[in-house]
Amino acid sequence: MSHSVQIDEKTAWHGGQSPFRLSYGKIFMWFFLVSDALTFSGLICAYGFIRHKYESVWPVAENVFTHFPFVTAHVPLAYVGLMTFILIMSSVTMVLAVEAGHRNDRKGVTIWLFFTIIGGLMFVGSQAWEWYHFIEGTEVGAMRQVWDIDQGKYVTQLIHGANMTYNEYGVPQFANFFFFITGFHGFHVFSGVVINVVIFINVLLGTYERRGHYEMVEKVGLYWHFVDLVWVFVFTFFYLL
Amino acid sequence: MEFHDDYPQYETMYQHDEAHGKQIRSKLWKVFWLLLAITLLELFVGFKATSWGLLGSTFLKFFFIFFTLVKAGGIVLVFMHLIDETKFFRYTVLLPYSVFILYLIFIILVEGTYCGYPLNKTSLDKNYKIQQIVLRKHHKQPIPAELTDGINEKDIAAAEAAASTETHGE
Repeated sequence: MSHSVQIDEKTAWHGGQSPFRLSYGKIFMWFFLVSDALTFSGLICAYGFIRHKYESVWPVAENVFTHFPFVTAHVPLAYVGLMTFILIMSSVTMVLAVEAGHRNDRKGVTIWLFFTIIGGLMFVGSQAWEWYHFIEGTEVGAMRQVWDIDQGKYVTQLIHGANMTYNEYGVPQFANFFFFITGFHGFHVFSGVVINVVIFINVLLGTYERRGHYEMVEKVGLYWHFVDLVWVFVFTFFYLL
Repeated sequence: MEFHDDYPQYETMYQHDEAHGKQIRSKLWKVFWLLLAITLLELFVGFKATSWGLLGSTFLKFFFIFFTLVKAGGIVLVFMHLIDETKFFRYTVLLPYSVFILYLIFIILVEGTYCGYPLNKTSLDKNYKIQQIVLRKHHKQPIPAELTDGINEKDIAAAEAAASTETHGE
């Protein structure tokens, strides 16, 4: 966009205007996203640290996430590929809603924001499905050594699926980080959907029409793109690597 | 109480007309196709990694990280319009973040080797190795030498047999 207005560097910080040429709300949405990005980066770095520590016994994601709805075959990565597609798609509909807002096109904003909400709900649902299959595990299961306090030695136990204590795919930390990071991201998606719904209702009521600008859509759009951005990293570090 | 000054209306400054909107939309769709193409490429390589013998290789890691950063750039710069903001603002957002995270990655890479690898080399660690061997055998994947190191065939066979009896018993 050519709207990036050049500012005079000599007088930019003299007051009476924003040196960033941005409204207060948008600046602070960005600052919030920076702090949230730091949180997620810290979590992913911790994941990398623990994963490196258990490198030789860390499970391969291909062997863990192999399910696809209505298909019994072994299809690794396909489902998470679909989830990524849904989230990127809803990111595009959101950016189109923002663009429509810049033209004060109420109908355009309504349509695109609606599709964004649908995409967000589909993503949250997909994640629930993914968690369900991760928790259920396979029929085969795996053997686990448990310390038996009465016998004073390790005994063998057959386990299925994953939880915070153990998982059939390998070291417990794998499941812990998976639940924590995808759960934290899923919560961001969920709250994003809720905020989108609130903004959507305001669009329907004509609040922003009266206000003369759709900047709220732009601000919630920033948050929504951030959620997509985090997923790009989660997708790489949990499923691809 | 209302407060008035000649503070600029930044909220309406970024509005544009239909003709300009058309240009912007075509740019957005281009970025979308780029993101989709990269994702499909990553999935394809991830899918083929085992048969190409690249599973867990350094090349693969940097390949994925590179394309992830490309995608992140597309989202932040174009979808979030950071490229259109003023230079001051771009640096205000990106610099503090980069400084902290590059330092975190640096310190983990440098100091991370002190964490005592692996913490528990006894029964538990052996158990995880057997678990991985059984899982990889089940999916007909190659088993690296570091997994079979110190594990005898009898333990693996016992783990497989126990798992299969339990399954048939259900």
